[in-house]
Amino acid sequence: MTNPVPLSTPAEEPAAAPPEGSGTRARPHGAWRALLPSRSPKLITGLILVTAIGLLGLFGPMFAGDPDAISDASFQPPGEGALLGTTQTGQDVLAQLLHATRGSLQIGLLVGVMATVLSALFGILGGYFGGVVDESFSLLSNVMLVIPGLPLVIVIAGFVPAADRGWWTIAVVLAITGWAAASRVLRAQTLSLRSRDYVAAARVAGEKPWRIVSVEILPNLLPLLASQFVFAVIAAILAEAGLSFLGLGASNSETLGTMLYYAQNGFALQREAWWWFVPPGLVIALFGCGLALINFAIDEIINPKLRNTRAGLAEGGVAAGAAGAPGEPAPGEPAERPAVLTISGLNVVYRTARPVHAVKDVSLTLGRGEILGLAGESGCGKTTLAYAVSRLHTPPAEISSGSVTFHDRDGRDIDLLALEGEELRGFRWAKLSLVFQGAMNSLNPVISIREQLADVLTTHRPGMSAEQRRARCAEVLRLVGVDPVRLDSFPHELSGGMRQRVMIAMAMLLDPQVMVMDEPTTALDVVVQRGILREILRLRGELGFAVVFITHDLPLLLELSDRIAVMKDGEVVEYGPAERLYRAPEHPYTRMLLDSFPSLTGARGAFLRDGAAARHDGRTALPGQHTHLSEGAPR
Amino acid sequence: MTTLEVRDLVKDYTLRSGLRRSTLRAADRVSFTLVPGRTVALVGESGSGKSTVARMIARLEKPSSGSITALGPDGRRVSGRAYRHHVQMVFQDPFASLNPFHTIEHHLIRPLRLHGRAAGRAQTRRLAGELLERVNLTPAADFARRRPHELSGGQRQRVAIARALAPGAQVVIADEPVSMLDVSIRLGVLNLLARLQREENLAVLYITHDLATARHFSDDILVMYRGRVVESGPADEVILSPRHPYTRLLASAAPDPEARGRSLEPMPAAAEPAGPLPPTGPGCRFRDRCPSAMPVCSRTPADHPVGPDHYAACWLHAESGRETSGAVAKAGPGGKAGAEDNSGAGRAG
Amino acid sequence: MRYYARKLGFYLVALWAALTLNFFIPRMMPGNPVDTLMAKLQQRGGTVDPAARRSYELLLGADTGEPLIIQYFAYLGNMLRGDLGVSVSVFPAEVSSVIGQALPWTLVLVGLATLLSFALGIVLGAVVGWRRGSWLDSLVPATTVLAAVPYFWLALILVAVFATALGWFPLQGGYDVVLTPGWNTGFLGSAVYHGMLPALTIVLSSVGGWLLGMRNMMVSAMSEDYVLTARAKGLRTTRVMTRYAARNAVLPSLAGFAISLGFVVSGSIITEQVFSYPGIGSKLLQGVQNNDYALMQGIFLVITVAVLGANLVVDLLYGFIDPRTRVET
Repeated sequence: MTNPVPLSTPAEEPAAAPPEGSGTRARPHGAWRALLPSRSPKLITGLILVTAIGLLGLFGPMFAGDPDAISDASFQPPGEGALLGTTQTGQDVLAQLLHATRGSLQIGLLVGVMATVLSALFGILGGYFGGVVDESFSLLSNVMLVIPGLPLVIVIAGFVPAADRGWWTIAVVLAITGWAAASRVLRAQTLSLRSRDYVAAARVAGEKPWRIVSVEILPNLLPLLASQFVFAVIAAILAEAGLSFLGLGASNSETLGTMLYYAQNGFALQREAWWWFVPPGLVIALFGCGLALINFAIDEIINPKLRNTRAGLAEGGVAAGAAGAPGEPAPGEPAERPAVLTISGLNVVYRTARPVHAVKDVSLTLGRGEILGLAGESGCGKTTLAYAVSRLHTPPAEISSGSVTFHDRDGRDIDLLALEGEELRGFRWAKLSLVFQGAMNSLNPVISIREQLADVLTTHRPGMSAEQRRARCAEVLRLVGVDPVRLDSFPHELSGGMRQRVMIAMAMLLDPQVMVMDEPTTALDVVVQRGILREILRLRGELGFAVVFITHDLPLLLELSDRIAVMKDGEVVEYGPAERLYRAPEHPYTRMLLDSFPSLTGARGAFLRDGAAARHDGRTALPGQHTHLSEGAPR
Repeated sequence: MTTLEVRDLVKDYTLRSGLRRSTLRAADRVSFTLVPGRTVALVGESGSGKSTVARMIARLEKPSSGSITALGPDGRRVSGRAYRHHVQMVFQDPFASLNPFHTIEHHLIRPLRLHGRAAGRAQTRRLAGELLERVNLTPAADFARRRPHELSGGQRQRVAIARALAPGAQVVIADEPVSMLDVSIRLGVLNLLARLQREENLAVLYITHDLATARHFSDDILVMYRGRVVESGPADEVILSPRHPYTRLLASAAPDPEARGRSLEPMPAAAEPAGPLPPTGPGCRFRDRCPSAMPVCSRTPADHPVGPDHYAACWLHAESGRETSGAVAKAGPGGKAGAEDNSGAGRAG
Repeated sequence: MRYYARKLGFYLVALWAALTLNFFIPRMMPGNPVDTLMAKLQQRGGTVDPAARRSYELLLGADTGEPLIIQYFAYLGNMLRGDLGVSVSVFPAEVSSVIGQALPWTLVLVGLATLLSFALGIVLGAVVGWRRGSWLDSLVPATTVLAAVPYFWLALILVAVFATALGWFPLQGGYDVVLTPGWNTGFLGSAVYHGMLPALTIVLSSVGGWLLGMRNMMVSAMSEDYVLTARAKGLRTTRVMTRYAARNAVLPSLAGFAISLGFVVSGSIITEQVFSYPGIGSKLLQGVQNNDYALMQGIFLVITVAVLGANLVVDLLYGFIDPRTRVET
């Protein structure tokens, strides 16, 4: 992986962008289609509920009788004459319900629109223009947010004589007290969008501010606006119902709340006339529920992490019969050192709708104290391989066949794929530890360095005293060149390089025999990276652990590792001693990767900045394999 | 054929900490000239101020002082809105620099329209198609209809380059254009940029942290550290015989397969700053990490010539500098001589 | 320290804004509330002493010819002294003493119910999020139904089922009226018994929101690298879930406490009305129905102060559990 890759987390590797340069299908997506939520049972249920109730409110009153017509048939249960029974004064509950639904929907929509417009105005403009405008807008919305809305509405309604309390008055008051929360959300999102490069690019292109807001920013806020609108409608219907239930609603309107008001004051509860007070609330609840379900679908657009419901935190699966497959002899030269980890014929498949074979038949041997480099580009399966070896892969990833054997110091062989439960937990970190790509994110931001180091010891070495734990934590920090006073720091108080050192210290806590490092220095500056690499090499020399070092940076591996495996599309295409790989690469892909890194001190090379440049220039490049590699590598 | 002159560019940010305010000087008297057909690389680590310089040139930030002047083919100063016809930028992250809501075509049509390069729907579309073909995104009509998420990182960066060229820009600022891309497509994108440069005689500012591509891709290199240009000169000179201790540190830290086994040798300087230097103030910014720090380093060093067109802002080279300092003021790539201890105010407020 | 100072400053501004709103709302409304009030008072045989009239005028505004700014500061002075005027509906009781009687009921009921539902929502949300993909996911739609149900309607249903039909709980009130309020087991037991249904209403209606928010944050937190690291460290599952995932996931819920609390308080006020609970919500309505403007305004202020206070406490707590807020930059 290249530097901080923004889109896909390692676990999602195969699901990343579509293959580059395949150029086969052109599916012109409508701009709006991309914004539509994917169809799901939730969304469909929600849409059905909302549409049904909406239609009832829209057309129902045309067919229903006069809701105010009084008759002698008081408190009739549902039956013949009145489908939903009658009220205390013999009015038809169904007719009332249909009219009240219309009233509630009307006010809900009106308030929803007004509140959303207000919140968009304050949130988006504040967020985009920043400075004093933003500070005053956000102070205003924060104050509005903490002042409880309904009591304020009640007070205002109390001052307005009932005769003046019209439909619009109530709607305006509800909108004014209800926009703040949405505004805060929109502001935060606008702030984040404003700092995106495409907004900067539009400014550099010379676009005017209003156009940047309306054409570049606003469309990307649409899902959020929709969600806030839906939420505002729910809130407005509920608030209006509450207000009307208290007898403070609009004097000239009939809503579900007023119906409940009359029901309570008409002793519906005492007379057990459930048909009078149950339906209005049920309509509100179902409508609100429908809108909430629609909101779920919208949320999944806004926050893609919520989408794939299958990926829980269950341990990654190992298909039956995967373990103990016959070990193939490792390609490349035989290892001179005794092996500490043997991977043979390992296959990992992502069991998604279209299964992805992420790791294909990989066989590697890690010698004791050896540094094995694993090179490859994003999506080549190197991270998946590392996760599978440490059994950290999560569904839908599954090891379909192969074996991973750990040869313990005491001569015992451990079949890693057969470990389960407590055995697996006990094995982790004690024998094999990991250092992940982003040290920024690998440390828990809210607990101290000390606690994150110590909890490894409390879990794996329950016999240790607090004093011994403290000493050990300080010791490993000193090993990686971090002052032990940092134990009381929190991650955000450390620099990037320091955090990665802490991670390496943590990985050494239990004196493991293997450390797997996934792009441990990619996000760091070269000088810091150099310092950390020296530390790793020195500690390897002192403590004798073996390292699987994963990176896209081939020159780094060539300098650092004993042997290198080059991965492409899930396969190890070349595997051998680093020196040999550098001097005499055999596979064309290895050669291409080597070519991709111009030498710092070597000859200036013929491929840059002169006539021969076209050779690497995308589609005009050499025919065959080479072109395919430089432009068409699936990722 | 536009030349861009950057003179004594300074950018100060105010840092607030409670009631105290301090100033962070992100760029400190940076000067250079971009000439048609040539590439200048601005090299430095994160926080060195190289991106701040890029953003000031792209007019995304206002300089605190100093000047950025674009001179048109006629040698006259380009002013106001016309500046954006001439100077465009390619951003680092191709995943963020294209608006996910809009088609690829939108990204090209807007600048074409804004800068009056095309009138009418048909002509605009044709020009957008030609731009896509020039960056090797063919069939152009197919790519024009797509949305950014349907493109790979390399393809997106090609679109970003086409967008920068759409207004007819003669000066292109490329801010780490390949650092987010997969290694195997990096050279392809850089070579594309190089070809377009040749074809259009562009002036290019290449901003990067990667010394190797800086060396091969550019004619001149400026090395920045904590807001200041510490060394400048022809690319090969700066990389192959670095004179400033910081450049030496950078060069020695870069991975090099030829140097297997050297990793355990001590580094020429501390990997990380020992403690924070005051954010502004006189003196060499590197002196807290420098192995050859001397008392004199608490005064700001001038740019001392260390070779033909090669300067290092380091007291180690003061001897050679004194002899020729008179000539330097005119000969330097940006007339950067004469930097004395006037490096600006320290803490304010 | 800076974080705390900023938060404190913000709540002072919010309090000032609420006081100012309270001052201007009656002045912006049509009619002359002071006259309405005086008429009502005389109806009930109350005497209009000049001090009381002055206090009403400050509170509600009247054409006394006094500059607004003088009125404003005099009003702020009254508020700071806790002088909220005299209630009309329970004349001649001071508004502050009326509120003083009702407030404990609401504080205990709404406070406990909110804490309970928050705790329940967070714990359930953490578990549901952690076990994503299991049968627990089916809880999620169920909670949305609960969240969309109006508080008072749920109260009505609960009353209909558990009080009217089954007779398990009392229909209304805060305690058995034959008992005299005091610190004795009989009264306290009765109060708890009467509080059950209102509390159940509040918990049922608000737990869904907390649960859902927590569940979503939990799902996000679980894809973070530090959770992966915690698993790789071989920590016990419960520890990974609590110290790593939930500990981070709970932060946004706390940050969003203000928004949710507003809903809970609003809902509770109406719920009190259904149960004729002797709390502040019922008093607010009593004030509204009797044009007892002083009482209305006093209660609005008290509710606002309580909500602000609760939010301040949550914010301070947030500062305590998220070390990043303590950064001095």
